[in-house]
Amino acid sequence: MTRRISKTKRFIMMNPIIQFFKFIYLSLKILVIVAGGHGGTRRVDQ
Amino acid sequence: MSRIVVLGAGISGHVAATHLRRKLSKKHTVTVVSPNSNYQWVPSNIWVGTGRMQPKDIIFPLAPLYKKKGIEYKQAKVVTFHPEGDTEIEKPYILAEYVAGETVGAMEKVTYDYLINATGPKLAFDMTEGLKPATNKAYSVCTYTHATEAWHALDQLIQEMKQGKKKKILIGTGHAKSTCQGAAFEYILNVEQELNRHGVRDMAELTWIANEPQLGDFGMDGMLLSYGSNIMKSSELVEMVFEDRGIKWIIGAGVNKIEDGIAHYETLDGEYHTETYDFTMLIPAFSGHGFKAYDKNNKDITDKLFKGFMIVDADYTPKPYEEWTVQDWPETYQNPSYANIFAPGIAFAPPHAISKPRVSKNGTPISPAPPRTGMPSGITAKLVADNIIDTINNKKPSLRHKGSMGNMGAACIASSGYGITKGSGISITTFPIVPDFNKYPDTYGRRLGKTFGEIGLAGHWLKLALHHAFLYKAKMRPFWWLIPE
Repeated sequence: MTRRISKTKRFIMMNPIIQFFKFIYLSLKILVIVAGGHGGTRRVDQ
Repeated sequence: MSRIVVLGAGISGHVAATHLRRKLSKKHTVTVVSPNSNYQWVPSNIWVGTGRMQPKDIIFPLAPLYKKKGIEYKQAKVVTFHPEGDTEIEKPYILAEYVAGETVGAMEKVTYDYLINATGPKLAFDMTEGLKPATNKAYSVCTYTHATEAWHALDQLIQEMKQGKKKKILIGTGHAKSTCQGAAFEYILNVEQELNRHGVRDMAELTWIANEPQLGDFGMDGMLLSYGSNIMKSSELVEMVFEDRGIKWIIGAGVNKIEDGIAHYETLDGEYHTETYDFTMLIPAFSGHGFKAYDKNNKDITDKLFKGFMIVDADYTPKPYEEWTVQDWPETYQNPSYANIFAPGIAFAPPHAISKPRVSKNGTPISPAPPRTGMPSGITAKLVADNIIDTINNKKPSLRHKGSMGNMGAACIASSGYGITKGSGISITTFPIVPDFNKYPDTYGRRLGKTFGEIGLAGHWLKLALHHAFLYKAKMRPFWWLIPE
């Protein structure tokens, strides 16, 4: 086992208060990306 | 009056059926033909496989819901396709065989005006010698019954480790052309966390084995992603996580045979190896179901409908990897020979892989097949349903709704441990799923910012929130349609 994630980073990853705000941020960001639309590719590039 | 027949009640079939029912008037019939009596939220199977959820938490019976919502339901499996009818019936139909109830074994010609083939993949365990769930100490988490078996075996192993016995656990892909590395990735991280929780992590040697040419390929050729303020490759992200958790890895490996506690595999350098284990969970190859199709004179026309999976509006011209483009990928999932047949989700034949094909020195193809996740399955099913709805309501063909995997984002929220305060998740979002090297030439074909990774407790909460949200949606509870695919 090799430590690749620092103690500070691990604290941030597992701190419920920090992660609560991260949860809100991630939820909105993913919603924008995934529900933000999709479409074809052929008409645009041809 | 139109009749829309949906084959399959997985994520794709269920999404299509529910949207059709909601948006079409009751004079039109929506019929679901599926051999499964339950809907299952597949992404949560990994938690059943680690004992953190029960099957009842991720499934519900289809028949009562469909009855309540006015969706006709036949618990049957499709046997053959007849898109032109036959000498007795003019309308197109599928031949279905009932698999349960008083009519078990009975055959019925189910006629349709529109057909949505959402039969998903066949879990082709038989393509790897000796790979069969719950035999040879090998398990699967592809269904909730498989996942339950996996947890019972893993629990037994944990008890033995508590008695001081060291064990070897092998998790990954069970065939040179397997896909769905993401599920195995989630499972190995959840198993690692469970071993920690039970205080036996130091008693287990945990190894990842996969047909990926490098870690983090996920069947998508890997990706360049934003991680905090850094830009890194997905291979680096996964390597960081595996090293941090003490997980060994074997990559470029095509597993070709399973014996009791021994996995045989070939690597890209042409060498043959074996790996011993006390417990293994290997994702099998996916294949089409081998359906046959016939014209009105009963002539075999299978090659007009199927190429393993169903043929749709993709460019299937064989060409070298360097000439692949996003334009090859389908947009409407309509069969080119029969305009009233569609195949969203996993049922359509992809034009080619996404990950660069690789062949071992012995000529064995060893590289991941294209991934087929729930999110694109739901999106493509909804757009197919919307096109059929437009066509019926406007009384003229409409293919206004389009959704290519080359112009669609996907979020893979990979659980890496269960628990409200101890859990963790690796959120990887990719846009687009199929890389577009013309639009994004400097970032491996993907848009940075929309392609990013995050690790932490929030990822677990997000996966758990999606579990509850999508089951709520699938149960068609009030305002279910507001939850996006």
